[in-house]
Amino acid sequence: MAILEIKNVSKFFGGLAANSDVSFELEQGMIMGLIGPNGAGKTTLFNCITGYYPPSKGEIIFDGKTMNGLQPDKVCKLGMARTWQKVRPLAKMSVVDNVMVGALCRTNSLKVAREMAMEQVKVVRLDHRANFLAGGLPIGERKKLEVARVLATQPKLLLLDEVMGGLNPAESEEIIRLILDIRKLGITQMVIEHDMKAIMRISDRIVVLNSGEKLAEGSPEEIVKNPDVVTAYLGSE
Amino acid sequence: MIGADITMKFPLNSNKGISTLAVIISLLVIVLLFLMPNYVKSTYILHIMILIFINIVMGSSWNILGGYTGQYSVGHSAYFGMGAYTTLILMQFRQIPPWYGVWAGMLAALVTALIIGSICFRLRGPYFVLASIAVAEIFRVSALILKDITNVFEGTLTTEIPPLTINGTVITDFSSKVPFYYTGLVFVLIVILATWLIQHSKLGYFFQAIREDQDAAHSLGISMTLYKNTALGISAILTSLSGSLYALYVGFIDPTTVLSLELSVSIVLICIIGGIGTIFGPIIGALVLVPLSEALRSNMIGQSLISSGLVSAESKFGNFLTENLSHAHVLIYGILVVVVILFMPDGVLGFFKALSAKKRKETA
Amino acid sequence: MNIFIQSLISGILIGGVYALIGIGLTIIFGVMRVINFAHGDLLMLGMYGTYYLFTLFNIDPFVSIVFTIPLMFLYGGFLQKFFINRVLGSLPQNQILLTIGMGLIMSNVVMLAFTSDYKILSTTYSSSSVSILGISISSPLVISFAITAAITAALYWFLLKTDTGQAIRATAQDREAAQLMGINVKRMSIIAFGLGSALAGTAGALISPTYYIFPQVGSIFTLKAFVITVLGGMGSIVGATLGGILIGVAESIGGVYFGSGWKEVVVFVLFLLVLLFKPAGLMGKSNT
Repeated sequence: MAILEIKNVSKFFGGLAANSDVSFELEQGMIMGLIGPNGAGKTTLFNCITGYYPPSKGEIIFDGKTMNGLQPDKVCKLGMARTWQKVRPLAKMSVVDNVMVGALCRTNSLKVAREMAMEQVKVVRLDHRANFLAGGLPIGERKKLEVARVLATQPKLLLLDEVMGGLNPAESEEIIRLILDIRKLGITQMVIEHDMKAIMRISDRIVVLNSGEKLAEGSPEEIVKNPDVVTAYLGSE
Repeated sequence: MIGADITMKFPLNSNKGISTLAVIISLLVIVLLFLMPNYVKSTYILHIMILIFINIVMGSSWNILGGYTGQYSVGHSAYFGMGAYTTLILMQFRQIPPWYGVWAGMLAALVTALIIGSICFRLRGPYFVLASIAVAEIFRVSALILKDITNVFEGTLTTEIPPLTINGTVITDFSSKVPFYYTGLVFVLIVILATWLIQHSKLGYFFQAIREDQDAAHSLGISMTLYKNTALGISAILTSLSGSLYALYVGFIDPTTVLSLELSVSIVLICIIGGIGTIFGPIIGALVLVPLSEALRSNMIGQSLISSGLVSAESKFGNFLTENLSHAHVLIYGILVVVVILFMPDGVLGFFKALSAKKRKETA
Repeated sequence: MNIFIQSLISGILIGGVYALIGIGLTIIFGVMRVINFAHGDLLMLGMYGTYYLFTLFNIDPFVSIVFTIPLMFLYGGFLQKFFINRVLGSLPQNQILLTIGMGLIMSNVVMLAFTSDYKILSTTYSSSSVSILGISISSPLVISFAITAAITAALYWFLLKTDTGQAIRATAQDREAAQLMGINVKRMSIIAFGLGSALAGTAGALISPTYYIFPQVGSIFTLKAFVITVLGGMGSIVGATLGGILIGVAESIGGVYFGSGWKEVVVFVLFLLVLLFKPAGLMGKSNT
């Protein structure tokens, strides 16, 4: 069952086509890797999908519902959540409070929200930082916080935007473990990443974007052998 | 790793809420305040207290929108003025007693807020500030033009407020300051309670999330329209309370006093001095601002300098002081704003919090 | 029809002076991303300076610009270096509050020093008019427009042709990149604020023969300056030039047809409309 259908999505900024006629589908429970050189339009696609701005053309169908033009808060309530390429902690609030904001999407009770939040804080192994202000955390922990926060919204589909960016190998390994654990919970994921080794390990399927267009789609093995993909990456350096 | 700077700015434990000691002290203070008029008969002190109460309400109401939700409106005088004018107009022209008029004032402020919100909330940061100023100025200029309605209260004391009776017994006829004092105190308690309730509810979390990062909050399921307007609505309603009380107490209002940019700035100032986004911040701000501006207005500073012999009453400087210091309170506002922004942007409370966090870090 | 043309022309002429105010504000915003709420008060200082140069030393207001420009430039630089610079990294709201506070200090010091009595600067030619193509136009307005045009031309030349001018434009476009290229962005900020202040003060000098002079006159012009810069696009000098003229015309014609009371409201409403529908303005880059 396709949980997310991207149908001929294009996004124009003035004359520039950031996304051009992109189409693919996500099956429930899979991990889809979204890769491509810088400026390929990956984050733009995320923004379109989650309602940050509407696509110029095309359709986005989530769980059978058309999402075009829905505001980000409605998108989240419907079960799609995203993390940000540049982390966005709620700096003056504590780690637990940050995650509670996510949990309050699903409950009105502060007590229940706190319990839900602590659960997620434990999942990402930030319990020792529970009462720290988010703004004081180092980058690796901020990324984990962001994951905990979106998990608290109980998403069916999770969009992770370069969640390993700027992390050391140990931290990246933790995130990979996290992503695989999230899959065990039945949550579908789409992961933007530059770390090719990580993407190969976690993805069931990979979509490659280049200059706004979909260049290729397939299993990790297929993608790695795809000559166009190799050119795109080597050519752009 | 994180340097000492960051941990100083973001102390190890976010001490949310208030300690039990603070609560006990606060309750004691409230009881004392309720008993005060029985023991303190000086009308001047009552007057100062009433002004302080009005300022606390003004500051705390703004705090909900500005401090918690991060939307710095510098046009809050619009709601103050709506409360003031609605209550007085209804009493003057329709003989509606103020305890009903106040509700009408709140409704008027709410409607105003929703209109203003629909215009201004599409904008962010400095553009929102500018729009809030522009809208408030439109109100003020319109009120100046519609002189027939709005300037009636200029220079004329209002007709006496009807006596408050319950079951035929006259509780007060508003001839003394005492009923205003108690009204002010009750309004303060209402506002503080509202702030506390918000802080400890889903609203508080969502408001602060909006302040910290609007886009992140939006993506976490928080509707910007709903929550920003809720914050504004609550803020406007409570601000109108202070406007109504001011109008009834002073009896003399005009657009230049109750709808001015100067008023909007002083409302923001109350919070900034004390500490934005805290319950006690506006209280401290009011406690600083009101005595200061009163001291200036009533020439206390000038007089005390002269009577203490530091300045001769006949000297040019002495004359200058007596004549001009009473007009200087706005100048002092300006200086305060500059000083606070430059040196204490988190207000008095924030300044001391950072100081104590630094001490804690050093002894840890 | 005659009235229309007359008000159109006066609108354009006064619009030139408005353009100066707007250009000053937009340079400051462009280089520092600071919204200078004290801009009108800088204009007010220019007015008072011109007034006293005239009443005490008999220097014609248009001539006294020779003094106003450098003095205001230095003053602006001083303000930037010691006050504005400290908040360049802070929240925009704090920056606005700081400049509001500075404006309050300036207007109230002037009020304490010179009282709030309205002052009038009348020269021999204050109420005279020239007739151009059968239309009567106020002489001071014509002279100030001519001076404005000259100053604007000089400014464009400065920004386009000189090294410093180009450095300022580079800083306005991308502060970090400019810094990486070796431009002293701190110095550029000081110069920019000095320039903005000089322009505001000059505008004040130019309108002093035709406006009442009082301490609070600044706030009216601050808001007008914002409308102009937002209309033209924050950071765009061409935009501010056009915006100034547009607002001058809108005000002039609005004043004739709606009455002078409502013309303020016209300007504010225009402001809100622009903020809502085209916050980037006619020419501007948007900045959140």
